[in-house]
Amino acid sequence: MEATATGAAVAGVEELRVEGLTKRFGGLRVLEGISFTLAPGDILGVIGPNGAGKTTLINVITGRTPPSGGRILLGGHDITGEPTHTVSRRGVVRSFQQTNTFKSASVRENVSRALRFSGTAGAEGWARVAPLLEAFGLASRLDEQSDKLPYGLQKMLGLTLAYAADPKVLLLDEPAAGLERSERTRVDEFVHHVRARGCSVLIVEHDMDLVRRLCPRIIVLDAGVVLAEGPPAEVLSRKDVIDAYVGADAAEDEAA
Amino acid sequence: MAPEPNLAARSPSRWGAQEWVAVAIFVAALAVPYATEDLLVHSIVNRVLIGAMAAFSVFIMLRMDLLSFATPAFMALGGYSAVLLAMNGVTEVLLIVPASFIVPALVALPLGALVLRLRGVYFVLVTFVLTEILQLIVFLTPGLTGGSDGLAGFPAPTLLGRDLSDAQSVLALAAAMALLAVVITAALTAHFRQHFAAIEENEVLAESLGLVVWRYKAMGFVVAAGIAGMAGFALGNMLLTVHPTSFGAQQAVDTIVYTIVGGRGSILGPVVGASLLVTAADFLGNQGQYAQGLFGLLLIFVTLVARGGITGAVVTLARRLRDARRTPDAPAAAASEAAARGGA
Amino acid sequence: MHEFLTAGIIGISLGAQYALLALGFTLIFGILGVINFAHGGFYALGGYVAYAAVSQFGLPFPLAVLAAVIVTAALGALYERFLIERLVDDHLATMMLTLGLYLVISTGLLAVFGPQSPEFSFPVKGTLRAGTLYLPLENLVVLAVCAAAIGGLWLLIYRTDFGRALRALADDRKVAMTQGMRPGLLFPLAFGLATGLAGLTGALVTPILALSPSAGDPVLVTSFLTVILGGLGSIAGAVVAAIIVGFVEAYASVYLGGSAGALILFVTVLVILLARPTGLFGREIRGA
Repeated sequence: MEATATGAAVAGVEELRVEGLTKRFGGLRVLEGISFTLAPGDILGVIGPNGAGKTTLINVITGRTPPSGGRILLGGHDITGEPTHTVSRRGVVRSFQQTNTFKSASVRENVSRALRFSGTAGAEGWARVAPLLEAFGLASRLDEQSDKLPYGLQKMLGLTLAYAADPKVLLLDEPAAGLERSERTRVDEFVHHVRARGCSVLIVEHDMDLVRRLCPRIIVLDAGVVLAEGPPAEVLSRKDVIDAYVGADAAEDEAA
Repeated sequence: MAPEPNLAARSPSRWGAQEWVAVAIFVAALAVPYATEDLLVHSIVNRVLIGAMAAFSVFIMLRMDLLSFATPAFMALGGYSAVLLAMNGVTEVLLIVPASFIVPALVALPLGALVLRLRGVYFVLVTFVLTEILQLIVFLTPGLTGGSDGLAGFPAPTLLGRDLSDAQSVLALAAAMALLAVVITAALTAHFRQHFAAIEENEVLAESLGLVVWRYKAMGFVVAAGIAGMAGFALGNMLLTVHPTSFGAQQAVDTIVYTIVGGRGSILGPVVGASLLVTAADFLGNQGQYAQGLFGLLLIFVTLVARGGITGAVVTLARRLRDARRTPDAPAAAASEAAARGGA
Repeated sequence: MHEFLTAGIIGISLGAQYALLALGFTLIFGILGVINFAHGGFYALGGYVAYAAVSQFGLPFPLAVLAAVIVTAALGALYERFLIERLVDDHLATMMLTLGLYLVISTGLLAVFGPQSPEFSFPVKGTLRAGTLYLPLENLVVLAVCAAAIGGLWLLIYRTDFGRALRALADDRKVAMTQGMRPGLLFPLAFGLATGLAGLTGALVTPILALSPSAGDPVLVTSFLTVILGGLGSIAGAVVAAIIVGFVEAYASVYLGGSAGALILFVTVLVILLARPTGLFGREIRGA
């Protein structure tokens, strides 16, 4: 089973389609009319200034908070508003920006839980995760408590847990946040690894270099709306996108 | 590269030393009524057994980081159900003990569906309100529950026809129920140790990995209710009355104190807490009315200094000693590492 | 008709007392995220300090009330500064700390003063005649003092820098801290303010109702009820809900009997907690 350039030929992978997704908190409009498609094998970057609604987007797709409007379809099946554990079992799994591991448990215990909770326990599950544990240097530290690990390793453990849950679609929330420059290529490794095994990936990120490297396509969120969509080189040179970031920076500078 | 065979965690649902010790304690308790006829000992042991059962109820929910003030409400449901059955001709222990478990458990099912959506302080407040509501319902239904007079003068329980009203049998029955309670608690918390621990530590992560969190919360809530129900029946059997004042906010606080001071991280915690505090309370003021002051001080102390309670502190100490003995030339480093790993 | 109106006056008077208590409780929850299980304890303590000031030290009643406020406010501020502050982000831990404090206070009061209600009566007696209505003066005085306190509190929260800082901390502690507000100083002050209000209410009301070491028990319950109804963290909500609770209690005890009225309130609160935990006016509290 080979992953092609578009990934479309990989069997068992499903398309995630978001249609007109809207989320309001009281009077606050956090997401408005968001639509995009994540085809099998895609790597889609989601960028935007702080407060643009990126994490909320992941929260809504994974059922952590219900949408105010719109639909989410997985392989044609409507999964809008389903609880998180159901969405996860269907194969849409997310990682977290912070607190992405069970801190007081060992690495081994963390992986064991991820496998058990997703229903893929046993030797087969461990076999799937083993290459990642090796690659990140976690395999030799299985009995260490996870919050005693260096920060970079904790983040990679968090990513590994998400993959342990046997996803078809991975939603990564700022996987590189807090990582040293030198560590960021680990995220590349992770994304390539999972994509080669049939996962499509959506990456919310601030690191533009990483986005440029990894994502053939990105969307820009600003104030809850899709501002632009396309290849990074093209999108990032658009004036309105640059303005959105500059505007956001200026607002932050004023508030500080 | 294939993982080594020991990469997979060993079976987590086996009972550890603490579970076996806890069960052994209650098996030993069965012998007490036949080993002595001292009424003071009977009284203390009986109250310790009841306190421990109620504390197990709190313990189960705390395993998921949920602090429940509803224990007395479920105790009332169990106690009143058992007594009402006895007053209506059903005194067979093999029927009323299960009833004292099942009635509150059944109530906990729909209640849990509503209440378990809440977390943290909101859950605490809701369970507090539940206890108040149930007390008020008792006061307002004198026809059924005897209202503010409670129910007394009910027939003693019987076992296959044999009357259990003598002092020995009352205590033995309490011990038997407590043994049942500890076995159930151990089975539940050991079998679902990782699930509860994951929910306690990071519920959001657990759910996003596919754990059906509400199912485990519901299971814990229902079993905790049942165990509290048995404690309620044991209380009524000891006092020869079920009375609303036995099932109020103060009892909720007491059971929480037993569990937290004894240690919320170990099944021995409720046992240790109930044993020590129920006994100590007797010596504080000629009616134990100053006991609450001690409880308050202990609660503050444990929260500030020893989060894992007495059992947590013992475990931490044991680890420190073991590590210090292992690396005699680096005791400080080992001790701090052990403390970091062993804390709460 | 007289009965109806008199019950109404009592309702407002109760409402004002509950409002003061609820305001203190909701301040602590809104700003610190702490459930103050000891709230009733400060109420009882305020009553006993005032009683001791009057009966042991012969102070006039207003000074005794002042003494009660000072003692309860100071105790609250110190407790927050030296104990609660260490664990302020851990909700379970702070609940245990305030619960423990309540147990210590009420047992302490029991040990020092004994279980019986002492002779402690309100200095103002008599009734005011308004037309055909007889209004008990003591209720009116309490109502006036409570209303003044509520007004003063409103000014403090909405018209001073201190109040602005407190509101900012309640909304978003991290942002407020980057803007230079120091919770290390403000939290103890806020806590002390709240417990002082409880002590004030205790000193005023226990001469009318009853003073005993367990006088604080129903206070905590009523504070819970009121604050949940009005919304945890909402000041306006606390006042509105307190008045509602005061009226319900007054009318229920006249027309329904105490337990039924209480049951109605509790069930209402239960429904609110399940359907809309933030209450009538409240906001999501961070991390709660």
